[in-house]
Amino acid sequence: MLSKSQAKIFFLGGTGVFSAAFLSLTIDTHRKVPAQTHAANITPQVAHGKRIWEDNNCMGCHTLFGEGAYYAPELTKVVERRGKPWLRMFLKNPEAMFPNDRKMVNYHFNDEQIENAIAFLEWCGNVDLNGFPAKPPLAAKMAASTTAPVVTTKPIPPIFDAMACTGCHSLGGKGGAAGVALGAPPLDDVYKRKNRAEIVAWVSDPPKVKPDTKMPKLPLSPEQVNEIADFLSSLGN
Amino acid sequence: MKYASQKVAYWFFASAMVLFALQLVYGFIMGFAHTGWDGLHQWIPFNTARAVHTNLLVCWLLLGFMGAAYFIIPEEADCELWSVKLAYIQLIAFLAVGVTAIVCYHLNIWEGRKFLEIPRPLDYLVVIDVLAFLLNIGMTLMRGKRYTTTSLVLYMGLFFAALLYLPGMITFDNQTMDSFYRWWVVHLWVEGVWELIMGGILCYLLIKLTGVDRELVEKWLYIIVGLTFLSGILGTGHHYYYIGTPRYWLIVGGIFSALEPLAFLGMAIYALAMAKKGGRKHPNKIALTWSLGCAIMSCVGAGFLGIAHTIPQVNMFTHGTLVTAMHGHMAFWGAYAMIVLAIMAYAMPLLTGRKLWDSPLATWAFWTSNIGMSAMTGAFAVAGITQVTLERRMGMDFLAVQHEIEMHFIGLLLGASLFTVGIVLFMWNFIRHGLPSDEAIGADIEGTPTPAQT
Repeated sequence: MLSKSQAKIFFLGGTGVFSAAFLSLTIDTHRKVPAQTHAANITPQVAHGKRIWEDNNCMGCHTLFGEGAYYAPELTKVVERRGKPWLRMFLKNPEAMFPNDRKMVNYHFNDEQIENAIAFLEWCGNVDLNGFPAKPPLAAKMAASTTAPVVTTKPIPPIFDAMACTGCHSLGGKGGAAGVALGAPPLDDVYKRKNRAEIVAWVSDPPKVKPDTKMPKLPLSPEQVNEIADFLSSLGN
Repeated sequence: MKYASQKVAYWFFASAMVLFALQLVYGFIMGFAHTGWDGLHQWIPFNTARAVHTNLLVCWLLLGFMGAAYFIIPEEADCELWSVKLAYIQLIAFLAVGVTAIVCYHLNIWEGRKFLEIPRPLDYLVVIDVLAFLLNIGMTLMRGKRYTTTSLVLYMGLFFAALLYLPGMITFDNQTMDSFYRWWVVHLWVEGVWELIMGGILCYLLIKLTGVDRELVEKWLYIIVGLTFLSGILGTGHHYYYIGTPRYWLIVGGIFSALEPLAFLGMAIYALAMAKKGGRKHPNKIALTWSLGCAIMSCVGAGFLGIAHTIPQVNMFTHGTLVTAMHGHMAFWGAYAMIVLAIMAYAMPLLTGRKLWDSPLATWAFWTSNIGMSAMTGAFAVAGITQVTLERRMGMDFLAVQHEIEMHFIGLLLGASLFTVGIVLFMWNFIRHGLPSDEAIGADIEGTPTPAQT
């Protein structure tokens, strides 16, 4: 059996060897991280965005690269998931997007701060994270059993995607995850419930039509409202 | 106790108890927020509650470690503490920094990096404070009549904990490198040098409580802390799977994380074997119960619940979910909270001269808190696994999933209430001991099996 001095050598020697291994890997990591993270894309705007992220302890609720707290969504791919227009609107007034739901502090960011924060998150979204976050492996199987194809004569207008309408509403069995708790209805059969004029009135200013609605007034031009109304009312044809 | 200067440990322990109580309050605020009862959001938003909850934990554990060192080192080195006055100054300064940090969090002032939230100027004060502490303990050891392995391991643990605080202060514009060095502090503390501190304290307690020969206990201490570093240093890799660092960390982290439970398993077997060998002759049975409980719960919480989600293929889905909270709660409780409570349970009768070790309160405190923590871990596990299935595997929206798991947080709050009852009982027993007294000096001879064995 080991003597005490042999045990001591095991402890000190082992610690020395593994510390040296760790330091060598650290040096190598320093060499490889700039390419893997596209460090050249860290503009002053991205750096400012990171400071906003830290100055408000965003990690105290959210996760980024899977690190942080578990009270609010993972944000690594948020720019890809929601799109910039949605994020701009959300950061102006977080509670308006999810009324009567889990709350986020309104930090009263100005436009520049919002752009910086989004630039930082966009940079994060492009870092090679060795496959994280994984695409949900069961999502495709579930969609295959529930999805109905969208029947439409008109193409989906760009503003429909830019506003991430399918974040809250489902269309053709896809999307709508964020709207489940808010009671956001599917859009496939909206033409049966509202005529075109009603859709225009609703999309222009939902709280005007129904004051207790959870859908916020979106920053849409009249042309964009018309495009959306055209598209939605075409679904029945 | 043997030396009058050991009395300073009492004030470190008492401060730790106060911060612990406050930590529980903020834990409840978060638990309620998760069930939808977020009435305090306007004044204490979740990120504030979270930072206060984790920082208070770190603060009270560090106070507990310092108190333990101030109690153990004079006795191990066989001389009075170098400067009692410096110890008091250092305690007050530490508390002042801690309170300032907590106030800052309520005013949205911080550095905003998980676990290292304290504003930068306070970082420097922490460093100075810890240096004062290390100086005090170091000078005591230098002046002492004997060097023991126990005091050496404890001092090494404390010294490296101070040293490893520094990488956390390097700033990067690259989030990946920022995170990389943040883990040098967080991981290498809790899965490295803090285990040295825990091992040192546990070793001291086993020598005192079981009466087994010091040479034997200390030999095994070397092997166990050796295993800790062997697995823990490269085990840091499990934090580098998915943050933008090279892919080889998946292999390095995966292999060495899988070895990490061995150190904890070794610790548990070691504690149980020594207790069996020594025949538990010491009358302070509750201190031995806490020591063995610590070894076992850390093995379960830190060892096995840790490996349950450090396998890279599993971690791909559990990374950044409540599964981490499940592991974190029992790991910190088992490994670090319990060792601090164990040294308190051992030291309080010696500091105050009141032998309240066979009080039923003390036994109830142990069982209630441990059952409560196990229930909390269970609630986190169910919530975490449900979150992983619905959000990460099926692709449901984050908030929709959170509503689905609200009920598990009611379970969590029930477990937390039971846990709190246990901690309140422990604190009540702590208060019943009264203040440290000079009459207790020399009282430790009583109760130890034979002087020769210590």
